[in-house]
Amino acid sequence: MASDPRLARLDLAQAREGLLKGDFTSAELVGAALDRVAETEPALQACLCVLGDQALRDAARLDAGGPDPAMPLWGVPVSVKDVFLVRGAPTTAGSRMLEGYMPGFEAEVVTRLRAAGAVITAKTNLDEFAMGSSTEFSAFRPTRNPWNLGRVPGGSSGGCAAGVAAFQAAGGFGTDTGGSIRQPAALCGCVGLKPTYGRVSRYGIVAYGSSLDQAGPMARNVRDCARLFAAVAGPDGRDSTSSRVPPEDLSALSPPEAKGLRLALPRELWEGSFDAEVGKVLDSAKGLLASAGISLETVGMPSLRFSVAAYYVIAAAEASTNLARYDGVRYGYRTPSKGDLLSLYRESRTAGLGREARRRILLGTFALSSGYYDAYYRKAAQVRRLIRDEYARTLEEYDFILAPVSSIPAWPFGSFTEDPLTQYQLDVMTLPLNLAGGPGLSLPAGLGGDGLPVGVQIMGPHFREKALLEAGILLEGIFPRLPEPPLKAL
Amino acid sequence: MSVDPKAAKAIADLARLSLAPEAAGGGGDGPGSPGAGEPGRVAGEMSKIVGYMEILNECETSGVEPMYSPMADPQPPREDIPREAGEGSGDWILDGAPETFGRFFSVPRIF
Repeated sequence: MASDPRLARLDLAQAREGLLKGDFTSAELVGAALDRVAETEPALQACLCVLGDQALRDAARLDAGGPDPAMPLWGVPVSVKDVFLVRGAPTTAGSRMLEGYMPGFEAEVVTRLRAAGAVITAKTNLDEFAMGSSTEFSAFRPTRNPWNLGRVPGGSSGGCAAGVAAFQAAGGFGTDTGGSIRQPAALCGCVGLKPTYGRVSRYGIVAYGSSLDQAGPMARNVRDCARLFAAVAGPDGRDSTSSRVPPEDLSALSPPEAKGLRLALPRELWEGSFDAEVGKVLDSAKGLLASAGISLETVGMPSLRFSVAAYYVIAAAEASTNLARYDGVRYGYRTPSKGDLLSLYRESRTAGLGREARRRILLGTFALSSGYYDAYYRKAAQVRRLIRDEYARTLEEYDFILAPVSSIPAWPFGSFTEDPLTQYQLDVMTLPLNLAGGPGLSLPAGLGGDGLPVGVQIMGPHFREKALLEAGILLEGIFPRLPEPPLKAL
Repeated sequence: MSVDPKAAKAIADLARLSLAPEAAGGGGDGPGSPGAGEPGRVAGEMSKIVGYMEILNECETSGVEPMYSPMADPQPPREDIPREAGEGSGDWILDGAPETFGRFFSVPRIF
């Protein structure tokens, strides 16, 4: 029986209300999401693995017990980026290296989502090992942007963003190492939260940059993002980078008064060159905020000029360390050729890892090698402290920092794949926050004349996600609401 | 600074990657795809990126303590008490291995 297509379009609050009242079952809601996946996947290619049978079984089991108001995500379909280990499903991290890998345990985020009653429906596409900003570096296939199928969805959590924007799931989880939640959310017209480093457990997530990686939710509105975040935030003794700071109570969120709210706009992020359509939407967004009574003040954060260089030294160094584990012995691809141990390592890694992953491993190996360590890695870590201090100082004086998410809208496939340095430089808006470690929320500010969404991000003090989300609710009410994405090539 | 092909090859050796064009697999986008592992091309690309990173030298950092992690409150070590590794006996750890020998990972002979 065909499902009701309206069910897939419900936001989390509406879905929860309908489920608790018995208007529909979890199986019906999950079925509608899976039907939407089947309908849109040929165009989008957002999923690497659809957990159809498993999700329907999970939903039926929940239905058998009846709605549980104590479980905040009871019965709702949620997708996760294919770096989260999910029992009974392969985890590839978008790499041939891990093709066919079946994990023996589950990511803490997934365990907490299940404990909150969520049903995992799909594992979504990404740039290989989360290294990239477009999903074009997925070893399997690129994901297409639901606003224009000829454009990238952003990345690295591009599959998650495209799927959530196209109603494949009520919400999803990605990871953000240098903008990988906020940038695809902006390019696909949804909301994405990068929590404070240490707020969400990294246990069971395929590691890329261990001092930068943080998992967080993506959804179609800020309140849904908050619901998803609340279900997973908090200390985890199995992750040594998990903070012991107790999580905030997010059960009641009330947006602040617009009047009196002070936002800092870093000159270094606002005065660069912007695509004309993006520039127009950003100008209009600033106008709307100012008309609402919010104070916007330009500030200087001069260390941001060094952020791309510092970030790529640190991220590449950490990547080269983390990816040393892919050696053809314990898991993943192994070369069929018979040689000695060194050639087994070399040939397995060279063939199993894609271009961008190998490039970052080489850069990281260089930055960590004797003779260059002080000049690059240590130096970048010093610059990192200066950037962190600038964030902290700015946030002592202002409520939040407001910045664009990307200087250009979703771009045509192939635009930058042969020019890694330009692609790295495009991350300038998002990656400083990962160096600083604080939380950031990306939300749609409007639609350009080219039909592509444009996002802005607000950034706040460490471990103050509640205030950030509340401010996000305020901004969301001020900015225009986006229509449904057309799922066509324009 | 610039990275020459010899240096690129040395870095690749440290990273356990092959750059030689004759390497099996050769570094495409997956197993078996031939192509791009050429030291000259990689050296050029790295020179460009590393050259850009030299902007860091313009940042005054004397006396600044490096910040390797944003963690303010690292977790204390937990008690050293053995626990079950995942489900059951932990045999699943071997399930992902491309080759095993009994209950062991298998590697080429090294002696």
